[in-house]
Amino acid sequence: MGHMPAAGTWQACPQCGEHHHRLEWAPWQICPSCGYYQRLTAQQRLTQLVDQGTFQPLPDLAMTAATTGFPDYAAKLATAQTKTGLAEAIVVGQAAIDQQVCVIGIMDSHFMMGSLNQVVGQKICQLFEVGSQRQLPVVLVTASGGARMQEGLAALTQMSLTLAAKSAFDAQGGFSINVLTDPTMGGVTASFALQADILLAEPAATIGFAGRRVIEQTDQVQLPADFQSAEQLLTRGMLDAVVPRAQLKAQLAQLLRLGGKSA
Amino acid sequence: MMQDALKKIRGAHWLSSDAVIQQLWPDFFRLKGDRLVADDPALTVGFGQFEGQTCLVAGVNRGQTLTERQTYRGGAVAPTGYRKFSRGLKLAMKRHWPVITLINMPGADASLAAEKQGQSQAIAAAIQLMGQLTVPNIAVFLGEGESGGALALANSNRVFMYQHSLFSVASPEAMQAILKRPVGEVDQLLPITAQALQQQGLVDAVLPDTDANTMVAALKTQLQTALMQLADQTPLQLQQQRLTKFQQLQTLV
Ligand SMILES: [Zn+2]
Repeated sequence: MGHMPAAGTWQACPQCGEHHHRLEWAPWQICPSCGYYQRLTAQQRLTQLVDQGTFQPLPDLAMTAATTGFPDYAAKLATAQTKTGLAEAIVVGQAAIDQQVCVIGIMDSHFMMGSLNQVVGQKICQLFEVGSQRQLPVVLVTASGGARMQEGLAALTQMSLTLAAKSAFDAQGGFSINVLTDPTMGGVTASFALQADILLAEPAATIGFAGRRVIEQTDQVQLPADFQSAEQLLTRGMLDAVVPRAQLKAQLAQLLRLGGKSA
Repeated sequence: MMQDALKKIRGAHWLSSDAVIQQLWPDFFRLKGDRLVADDPALTVGFGQFEGQTCLVAGVNRGQTLTERQTYRGGAVAPTGYRKFSRGLKLAMKRHWPVITLINMPGADASLAAEKQGQSQAIAAAIQLMGQLTVPNIAVFLGEGESGGALALANSNRVFMYQHSLFSVASPEAMQAILKRPVGEVDQLLPITAQALQQQGLVDAVLPDTDANTMVAALKTQLQTALMQLADQTPLQLQQQRLTKFQQLQTLV
């Protein structure tokens, strides 16, 4: 493998193992061999979903969670920040999707597995608050392993605080769409991820409460490979649609046109 | 220290929610079923009179005998349980009944059936409804409560914890595995004990855990006081108070 070009140019598919050039993965980051959906960064997702030049970040909350308690947590956070160029596991702003203006949040699984901590929770609350103020629909793209253990109960209770913000948004007649992407699990699924008016998901995204290994341990069974897949959830009545990545922008635009206008 | 506490609150002889209900709500009526799939015996939901006032009460059952432990899955509440709970909450709002929850559970049911029946959705709906309740709610930790499964029962105006109970993002064992720290160290790294959470302002009263009779008597006194204090609050005040209460845990700078 001495001839392998520099990292980043060629990437092995996590599903089939085939190596493909960057240009072959583009523009949707889908494996040309097996159709595997690469997990997108928040920036890649923005590029795919919103009209060029329309994204404006929401006012910076300028807060960080105190990282005392866990000596390695501060270092982990710093590593995640360097790796992703993000301050936290979510990006929030206002943008247009095929000219339909909305408030949009995008979680990034490359940042500590998109885990829900206090800052992420407060930014999700901000999404709903700004959505109410500006009378705009909220689009939230989820990707998360669940609550961030290192912040303990303060992270767990973001589940209830974000839901309270969502309730206030709903009371104002707000319209919300969630796009569930791989992975959306645990405390995130058991709070804001499944509580939007419309639930879309990417093909083959893993969406669930408990992790596969935990369930296998609980029931002493071997689960089929597609268990907790978006397609399975659709058949069980948990989602409105599974939307291929290339059609996601058009699907969101249609929904925003139909449901997003304030009365 | 913590291993001892865990052994105690997980033991078959620990004060159960059914025992509390029998003593404080002797004329209790049990709701059964979520009107969709089944009844979850791991969570008792019903109503009865406390000091002349009807309350909605939900209590987790860990089970005492081996058969009970199996039937109740050790207190891991299923989606059917959370949906029954939400059904009770709506009734309580309609009838202006305060809501009391009794918590000692290992987290929500993580089985295949639970997943298929929409565990995440059931928990999310219960957490949201608890936050938006227009009547007062009080959570009582008889033992441990972990993850979103416990939060669904704990998103309340008042939180009481017995001395050796825990409220945590995950079980000490799960934290140990994820964070690679010994079980006994977890409570030193994060506030999860009754005492630590009282210091943070989340827990309103730490109740002594001695013998069952004293424990129930102490709870009775606390409930009387809290229900009286909360009786005059408007729905908006109650909703706002829950937010403020749980925001106290934040360590944002
Ligand atoms: Zn592939």
